[in-house]
Amino acid sequence: MQTATLTVALVGNPNAGKSTLFNALSGLRQRVGNYPGVTVEMKKGKFVAGGADADLIDLPGTYSLAARSPDEMVAVDLLLGRRPEEPRPSVVVSIVDATNLDRHLYLTSQLLDLGVPVVVAVNMIDAAKAQGLAIDYAKLGAAIGAPVVPIQANNGTGVPELTKLIRAAVDGGARPHGPAFPPAFEEAVGQFQKELSDEVPAFLVRRLILDVGGYTEQWLVERHGERLKAMLAAARDRLAAAGHAVPGVEARARFNWVKAAIAAAVTKPAVRPVTWTDRIDAVLAHRLWGTLVFLTVMFLMFQSIFLWAKPLMDLIDGGRESVAKAVEGAMASGPLRALVADGVIKGAGSVLVFLPQIMILFGFIAVLEDCGYMARAAFLMDRLMSRCGLSGKSFIPMLSSVACAVPGIMATRVIENRRDRLATILVSPLMSCSARLPVYVLLIGAFVAKPGSPGWLPGLVLFAMYMIGFTVAPLVALGLRRTLLRGAPPVFVMELPAYRRPKLTSVLRRMFGAGWAFTFRAGTIILAAMIVVWALLYFPHTDANGESYPERIERAEDAAKENADRLKELKEKGDAATEEEKAELAKLEDAAALPDRLNGEWKRRSALGRAGLWMEPAFKPLGWDWKIGVGVMASFPAREVIVGTFGLLYDVGDVDPKAVGDQSADDEAKEKAAGLTKAVQDDWSKDPVRGRYGVPVALSIMVFFALCCQCAATLATIWRETKSVAWPVFTFVYMTALAYLGATATFQLGKLIVG
Amino acid sequence: MLMPLDMLTAGEWAEVEEVTGQPAWVGRLAELGIRQGCRLQVVQPGSPCLLNVSGCKLCLRGGECSQILVRPVVG
Repeated sequence: MQTATLTVALVGNPNAGKSTLFNALSGLRQRVGNYPGVTVEMKKGKFVAGGADADLIDLPGTYSLAARSPDEMVAVDLLLGRRPEEPRPSVVVSIVDATNLDRHLYLTSQLLDLGVPVVVAVNMIDAAKAQGLAIDYAKLGAAIGAPVVPIQANNGTGVPELTKLIRAAVDGGARPHGPAFPPAFEEAVGQFQKELSDEVPAFLVRRLILDVGGYTEQWLVERHGERLKAMLAAARDRLAAAGHAVPGVEARARFNWVKAAIAAAVTKPAVRPVTWTDRIDAVLAHRLWGTLVFLTVMFLMFQSIFLWAKPLMDLIDGGRESVAKAVEGAMASGPLRALVADGVIKGAGSVLVFLPQIMILFGFIAVLEDCGYMARAAFLMDRLMSRCGLSGKSFIPMLSSVACAVPGIMATRVIENRRDRLATILVSPLMSCSARLPVYVLLIGAFVAKPGSPGWLPGLVLFAMYMIGFTVAPLVALGLRRTLLRGAPPVFVMELPAYRRPKLTSVLRRMFGAGWAFTFRAGTIILAAMIVVWALLYFPHTDANGESYPERIERAEDAAKENADRLKELKEKGDAATEEEKAELAKLEDAAALPDRLNGEWKRRSALGRAGLWMEPAFKPLGWDWKIGVGVMASFPAREVIVGTFGLLYDVGDVDPKAVGDQSADDEAKEKAAGLTKAVQDDWSKDPVRGRYGVPVALSIMVFFALCCQCAATLATIWRETKSVAWPVFTFVYMTALAYLGATATFQLGKLIVG
Repeated sequence: MLMPLDMLTAGEWAEVEEVTGQPAWVGRLAELGIRQGCRLQVVQPGSPCLLNVSGCKLCLRGGECSQILVRPVVG
């Protein structure tokens, strides 16, 4: 522990402007601190206070220090110096909103009970002036017994004065105290303090009595047993009998104190003026107009994610290809080259492709949240979401998951209720994400959009696939809220903050923060998964005679390249060719297809291929053969892999998943994609089951993909966000089971109908 | 005349007489400024409803509103 530097904690209500002040004080010198066992992130920064270096800790926004969960307790423990990783703060800065002092000073009154110096920063003085509020800061300071400084955090007004006051508070060392409670309450505190010894600070003893069912009560009852529980009940009964029932006694004591302080220092206009926020809310929070605006905003948001991300994604993809090519050229052929080129660069690169989408989505979320619109959206969507046991705050994460579940899950951080947040995280991967699209397009193209079938059918099937996610996700959420995540329906109370202009720097910070987190943390896990799948498809890499497949393929490719010109020449001749030339053409075509055929044989003999053959009975109820099974299994780390794997398995070579259904893809890629459609059709037509029931089999694969969590990045993100291995495992198991059952039902039903 | 909050219509003002329910919930609402003696205005009724509590906007669901007993007053 360092004694030379000060530690300053920043505490305030949500929307008090805490983050803005944090950024104004610490600039770019900041990092995010994580705390073990909880999903709390606290930002840490450095600044200079009156010549001394100071560490600044930004605590999560809160309305009170009455901790109800371990997450909320982290902040309280930190303020009391009970976290081993952090020294006890030498000063607490309480940031309050000048336009809403009545409520914000409530938290300040709790901070004064902590026994450390407190400096009160009154923020948004410009808005207060505009509303006609006149505040006498000296009188306010005298009334609450702590130094008060007016600031305007977004332009830095008052920040130098604040740092001076922080330094003065440390040097002065004055210990403030909060409002007085009735003597009967203090008596009870004394009694419990004796019982619990000095190990429990006085602040927590007060919280123990005040917070019925709160975290302090749970923690101490667990430690001291039933006796303490009985004592607590008796003490609360005595207080109630004396007319000081908890929790009312705290609210009364604190609010009377706040009222007195405001009466002494604040002059309010007789009539509260109608603010801009009120006028805007008349439209944006309106049930009809607000909903229309919301839908438009959401549409524009997702449209821009696709539009703006596309060129960047293509750029990353192109870069990935050229790096892979350069590596392939520079290294000698062998397992190492294959690992670096296919496993690392192509595998990890396929994850990086999603980076632009994630950063753009987070840019939107940051703007919508900073300007205060997000709370309105949650308000409007609450009615719909409450039907499936969630709250309005779950809507944006679930909608974001239609683009990609990774940012969707990351966006659940705005939900404070733990059960709500978990339920949202667990169902978000069910929403049809953009990675499922290539699979749908491939299979619909091959089996639904046949000549003779109605033109609206492919669109309808695609729509149905998206609807699976939209209907199953709320149902699963409802099921989870009734079983695993049962609990009182979340108390939904939310503040709609005043509208504010978002700051570019904070938006950029959010975008890059999200991008960084995605690249480094999810990236490392998906990289490992890709290497494993690659290895399972690579080894063993020798044929029955002990000859290496990669070498055989290379030889076959060289031979095909040599004869490429002759092949082209013969092809151009067409029907004019002689019998001899026709025979030669057939031979050359056969030789040209040899590399792909060898590749297919190799895949069949690889560990994953053998597993697929071994598991074929399990795939039977779904109408799949081992090839489909292997394709599906190989695509567990990332679902797009199936298109490429099908390409390898059906012996048409490497297919670029993006070329499927993409009109702008180059001709060769399109030809290969079309070739895959045809190859799958041909292969299935030779088979008694898939030949007859092609459509049900295709639908069963699509339903499997719609319901299964084939995305290592998503699972890694769930792991990171829930800080537990159990939840990603649970998600994987329930979604795979759901997918298996759904696909079986689809195939069996389809078989009956075609039958 | 006492009535639950969810019986008020848009634009009506009221003074909170009592907040009932779980102590943790009563405490949470008190922290947000909804407690005995405070004045509030219903901006939008229904579930969730929108309230104006001393200049700040809060939204609550219908079930929770019915646990707040108020006395209508003239704004």
